[in-house]
Amino acid sequence: MATMRLPSGTYHQTYQQDQAWWQTRFVWLRMIGLLFILLVFIPLWMPVLFPDIGLYVVSVANLIGYTILSAMGVQLLIGYAGQLTLGHSAFIAVGGYTSAICMLMFGIPYPITIILAALTAGLWSMLFGLPSVRVKGYYLIMTTMAAQFITVDFIITQYVAQIGGRGQAFSIPPGTITFGPIEIDNDIKVYYLMIALVIACMVFVGNLLRTRVGRAWLAIRDNDIAAEVLGVNVVRYKLAAYFVGGALGGIAGSFWITSIYAVSPEHFTWSWSLWVVGVILIGGVGSLYGTVFGAMFMTLVPEILRFAVAPLQPVFPQLMTNFQFLKESVFGLSIVLFLLYEPKGLAYRWWQIKNYLHLWPFSY
Amino acid sequence: MSRGDRAQTRASEINITPDLTIPKVFAQTAHKYGDHKVAMREKEFGIWRPITWTEYAERVKAITLGLVALGMQRDDKVALIGDNRPEGLWAEMAALCAGGVAVWIYQEALIEEVQYIVDHADAKFLIGEGQEEVDKALAIKTKCPKLKHVIWDDPKGLRHYADPLLISLDKVMELGRQLDRNDPHRFDELVKQGNGEDVALLFYTSGTTSAPKGALLTHLNMLTMGQNLMRVDPSFEQDDFVSFLPFAWIGEQMMSISCGIQAGLTLNFPEEPETALENLREIAPQVMFSSARLYEQMVRGLQVKYADSSWTKRKMYEWGLRVGYALADAKFAKKPASVPLKIQGALADMLVHRPLRDHLGLARIRNAYTGGSAIGPDHFRFFHAIGVNIKQIYGQTEIAGISVLHRSDDIKLDTVGKPLPGTDVKIAADGEILSRSSSVFLGYYKNPEATAKTLRDGWLHSGDNGFLDDDGHLVFFDRTQDIMVLSDGKKFSPVFAESRVKFSPYIKDAWIIGHQRPQVTAVICIDYNVTGRWAESKGIAYTSYQELSQEPRVLELVKQSIAQVNKTLPVSARIKRFANLFKELDADDNELTRTKKLRRGFLEERYQDIVTGLYGAADVVHMDTQIKYEDGRTQRVKTDLKIVDVKE
Repeated sequence: MATMRLPSGTYHQTYQQDQAWWQTRFVWLRMIGLLFILLVFIPLWMPVLFPDIGLYVVSVANLIGYTILSAMGVQLLIGYAGQLTLGHSAFIAVGGYTSAICMLMFGIPYPITIILAALTAGLWSMLFGLPSVRVKGYYLIMTTMAAQFITVDFIITQYVAQIGGRGQAFSIPPGTITFGPIEIDNDIKVYYLMIALVIACMVFVGNLLRTRVGRAWLAIRDNDIAAEVLGVNVVRYKLAAYFVGGALGGIAGSFWITSIYAVSPEHFTWSWSLWVVGVILIGGVGSLYGTVFGAMFMTLVPEILRFAVAPLQPVFPQLMTNFQFLKESVFGLSIVLFLLYEPKGLAYRWWQIKNYLHLWPFSY
Repeated sequence: MSRGDRAQTRASEINITPDLTIPKVFAQTAHKYGDHKVAMREKEFGIWRPITWTEYAERVKAITLGLVALGMQRDDKVALIGDNRPEGLWAEMAALCAGGVAVWIYQEALIEEVQYIVDHADAKFLIGEGQEEVDKALAIKTKCPKLKHVIWDDPKGLRHYADPLLISLDKVMELGRQLDRNDPHRFDELVKQGNGEDVALLFYTSGTTSAPKGALLTHLNMLTMGQNLMRVDPSFEQDDFVSFLPFAWIGEQMMSISCGIQAGLTLNFPEEPETALENLREIAPQVMFSSARLYEQMVRGLQVKYADSSWTKRKMYEWGLRVGYALADAKFAKKPASVPLKIQGALADMLVHRPLRDHLGLARIRNAYTGGSAIGPDHFRFFHAIGVNIKQIYGQTEIAGISVLHRSDDIKLDTVGKPLPGTDVKIAADGEILSRSSSVFLGYYKNPEATAKTLRDGWLHSGDNGFLDDDGHLVFFDRTQDIMVLSDGKKFSPVFAESRVKFSPYIKDAWIIGHQRPQVTAVICIDYNVTGRWAESKGIAYTSYQELSQEPRVLELVKQSIAQVNKTLPVSARIKRFANLFKELDADDNELTRTKKLRRGFLEERYQDIVTGLYGAADVVHMDTQIKYEDGRTQRVKTDLKIVDVKE
């Protein structure tokens, strides 16, 4: 994406200023406003001001947060390192199970298990990234799908989930998930955890992308042969991308168990792997903001549809029961429409809107 | 660095005593701001690298002592040539600190011009930027025996140059630092020795008619001029100034030196001359001084963008300008605007004017000065309509830059404003503008006849015609020789008509002919970029400037623009016929002066065929001329120029 035209009178005396994310006072105010909405308005004021829907909004926000965390690794792999992946649920599952096992069996505090989950999922992902050394493009789809089936359907379902004889589900008793003295026991606390994780991951990935590593990934994405000629160690950076991508998935998995008090293989389906790819396609491939936009779109559209459908229920009683199918078809349709009309995703539209305002009253 | 209004503080006005010099003020200012204020920035590798006053002073000191180590004496002339860059200003300041005289040469000056100036000025040092300047210096060294050292600062391409005349600026600074270690008080003594009456600058005026004359300006001339200017329009310590016009132009000296060291402005040097406008936009200066040409270019840029935008945006722009023009006209007439108009104005400012100023890089502008040649009234009104406080300046090198200026609350379209404080302006019996102030120069270097002609009884004879109107505003008619007498005996300024014609974005230059001739005609140079875009949008194929200029639809376009202007001109001054020139006018071909004014006499000689054609019966002129390229090759050009009649 081309660089944004800055307002007249914005100049930089150092490269630090030149690379800063928020360069103008207007952007600072906007972002502070956004933080206020995220940290105060939604979790604290919404439930009080709108008791009917306040908590519902918070739970939807949590779902959006989970989707962002799930899609972040995919965005990094597909959008920045150019490595297709269609089995990201596997790494989310590894993260979720690692966290759960560490807490339940070894009594490790939750915050530490997040890190362990990230590391385990990252290493596991790296293992499945090994074929990427030799294969590219469509073939990579197959190897990453293999990750999904080997990890979730075989290893986790058949072996990991059987640990301790708990059957198919790991139940996480209340009081297990604590953050220091604070027990994560309601949606609002989950919400704050979500915000903290999303911001931490965004800042981490955003910063990583403007380092040598990030530039190497972009080079590999754009042309791996040229990157190699330029001296980028392609194998190393591809594996690094798989590690970081998987680790982000692990964090998502680790977060997932806080809101559900349980962990089970069927939470990590192949369709979720597809879903998060849809998220970045709609949000915008190669844009961190795009991940957020995509997650919001993909979560809010079904929710809005549900509200829209409710009044029709007396007329078409089967609508609610068939809602799952409707949701899936909307997902399919929206992907098709997006690929047709907005192939660069919502982030590009956002960029165009900003550009329109910056260039007003001209077009260049 | 974010945008927005910052606190404004003003440096206290200095007391100009007869022994005060530019280096003394510089030393005080540098001491005052030290390393907590940025003196200048240069855009390099994508960022604006700051140089504090301490660093500035340290470098000037090193260069000064380096020059002394190389044998520089007081009153030695130092010729300077190169782009606007910090090193250029350091070198100039160093030359002044060493008690020398700075002689700036236009960077694009041809070898003969450089040779003339270096030789005439008796320059002992030539400080150039890089290979191009070094090559020029080496080409003239045998013809300029007084030249002792050639200093360069950009090493690109100079690795295998071994001429003993050459020395790098780094080396000079090293010599200087060495001398400073041995004799730590030397620099302060050198600065102390200076006197306000000493010559500071030897500036060669780009005569429209004759060989350049060297005007001698003293330290006091420069300092008082800056102070008087800032008494009218104060500058603040937080102000930014973008230095992109040639240092060899007195206007740039006035801002960078006279005002810069007195007010503590931060000077900003663009990355490349080509990126100057883009860099100007990044800095968004508070003060700006430029030639009319640049402002014309800005307007042209906006007009083209306007033409390329969507219908709604165009309507918005038109509405915004309509409101802006109404407000500007009320301001010129000093009538209060009606309340509905004011409300519309506030809205238009938010929706149209402010974005337009942002596009131009004039988001923070407080005073935009235009000088050199007169700006067209259309351009002038345009800037005021979008809320840019553009003001005319009148002056010349001989009075250290400017002597007459618009006041912010007293702007008249057809005048150049009122004299600066401390400046007397009167009109001689024959209409010539005379001025007197402490900034009037000493005389021309080695040219007593010209000095006697220009300086009589302390009055500077400008050679310009004009009068003072009832409000005490000066109206000036351009150089005396540019007035033309029309068929009906009326006097008329071709520059006025030319500037109006140039309001069309498709026309870059216009040359109006009609002095003592039966009718007025014009030679037009189209703007290649703008007209080219227009042609592309209309599906007109062309391969060169020459071909595009003769394309019938382009001629029609120009004809419409001229017809539009004709409506506003007196009947006898209306342009009856015109031809599009096959090339753009260029200072390297002697068609323009270095400050981009037309050299009418030369043009008339060079394009005799066209002039004859314009006053003949035929509608085609056969051209057969020599064209000289920048590398010295010549080529014969044979082409046909179509002559178009503009009907009423």
